[in-house]
Amino acid sequence: MQVLKNRRAMIILAGLIVAANGFFPALWILFTSFKTEVELMRVPITIIPQAPTIENYIRVFVDQPILRFLFNSVVVAVLSTLLCVTCSALAAYALVRLRLPGAGVILSVLLAIAMFPLISMMVPLFQVMRDLGLLNTWWALIFPHAVLSMPVCTLVLISFFQDIPRDLENAAMIDGCTRLGALWHVVIPLTAPGVFTAGILAFVNSWDEFLLALTLSPRVASRTLPVGITLYQGEFSFPWPIISAALIVAIVPICIVIAIFQERVVSGLTSGGVKG
Amino acid sequence: MSDTIRHRLTPLEKSERRLGFAMLAPAFLLLAAVVLYPIVELIRNSFHFNHLAQPWMGTPFVGFENYVKALGDDRFHEAVLHTVLYVLVTVPGAVVIGLGLALLANQPFSVKWPVRLGLLLPWALPLVFAGLIFRWFFEYNQGIANAMLRGLGLEPLNWLTSPGLAFFAICLAIIWKSSSFVALVLLAGLQTIPKSFYEAAEVDGATKWQQFREITLPMLRPAIFVALIFRTITAIQTFDIPYAMTNGGPGNSTETLAMYIHKTTVDFLDLGYGSALAVLMFIVSAVITSVYLRHTRRDPGRH
Repeated sequence: MQVLKNRRAMIILAGLIVAANGFFPALWILFTSFKTEVELMRVPITIIPQAPTIENYIRVFVDQPILRFLFNSVVVAVLSTLLCVTCSALAAYALVRLRLPGAGVILSVLLAIAMFPLISMMVPLFQVMRDLGLLNTWWALIFPHAVLSMPVCTLVLISFFQDIPRDLENAAMIDGCTRLGALWHVVIPLTAPGVFTAGILAFVNSWDEFLLALTLSPRVASRTLPVGITLYQGEFSFPWPIISAALIVAIVPICIVIAIFQERVVSGLTSGGVKG
Repeated sequence: MSDTIRHRLTPLEKSERRLGFAMLAPAFLLLAAVVLYPIVELIRNSFHFNHLAQPWMGTPFVGFENYVKALGDDRFHEAVLHTVLYVLVTVPGAVVIGLGLALLANQPFSVKWPVRLGLLLPWALPLVFAGLIFRWFFEYNQGIANAMLRGLGLEPLNWLTSPGLAFFAICLAIIWKSSSFVALVLLAGLQTIPKSFYEAAEVDGATKWQQFREITLPMLRPAIFVALIFRTITAIQTFDIPYAMTNGGPGNSTETLAMYIHKTTVDFLDLGYGSALAVLMFIVSAVITSVYLRHTRRDPGRH
């Protein structure tokens, strides 16, 4: 009985360590965001805000156009996700089902190209986007972000498509469906969890991307959230309560997404790496 | 059926092939526009003089001059050294911590979401945010790191303004941020190990440590390899976290290759030289990517 009790305590402790490791930094920022600059100066430091204030949150919305950053991030992430999943799904289906010669080599080439380091593409992409007049537009980020997630989306979708029996599509095609019709009406609905998973991964990758967003959208109004957040720091000052509040505003949407879709995200991350 | 007509394609197979290549087209068109064309431009740039601050010089062909310049550029050598150090510290660091987290998370919890979200949150957080949060932790006056030192009766440290400590603080942030992804990959690996292996070992009187060394680690090898390669590919490109924490300082002591390329092109406006550096970086990561691809190459149509 005692052994069993100890074992339960150990399990709970293990869970607490993992949860604390993940949540602590965000919690600390949350506490900071409700403190005043004066309270921050106190020695020894306080943990829980002594006199909570929402002043910092007001400043977040007044000092910078954070809703604009949020809007840019949402548009870029949603459109690049749609583009990425569409291209990846078509490619994955062709590689799994259509008996292409050298499908393995084609997949390797696709992955190799899509894994080029972003920093190497930064300067030429800047020149291309400038020449096309796309700097500071959503498109300058949508296309590169779609490529960013193509390897993981393709691998996830391949592993899901492989589990669909060929007979189902054959039956649909006997009933008069075309190949693409079978993909759209039979395969996609059956692999909806996989398509969804790929979509969430692409969304998070785009939402988090910093280097290209920094370089290809130099104008303030076209900044995405990760870049916009860095604008709250002055040249010599670092208003930590305001930066913390801005971080919380920026973290909340992505937290909601991963909290709702946690199981899908976990299965997607791991099927791309281990199973796929 | 396909055995008897292996070398002659039926009309159906022919049309399937055509359709197959057509379905690959959007992905490859996108790759051509966003990656291949820029890479060609990058290589072309790297053989030309192209300095936006000296437009009167034009963009003459200079051969390997930019590459020769890199050979004698101390700041480039230091950036390479820092990048290598980040890889050597943070890749094994993230794998060890990630393995620890995965082992802790691989328990029969009655409530699963706190652990799952505890692993997902660091992964989903933008790198820049992680960098800002850790910069706040290591702030001299108000940061939590120095608060703890003071609590222990020790002198506070200049975490972000002395080279060695800044490197340490940045490594800590990178390891925290990336170990959760490693943990998720390893956790999936752990869950494929049959319980019966451990039961059999238990019967044979193996200790927990022996079970870990003789069962867990060998069975986890493929997952660890995948995590190592993915981490290495991203670690070579380290940019966001040092950018947010120190911006390469103090001096250039925490500057990575990616940051130096960014500064050379965006701040110093030397596109030719920056491109040559980017080509060098691209070659290194291509070699590592090819190791990964050789490991995972398979025919997706055969299963």
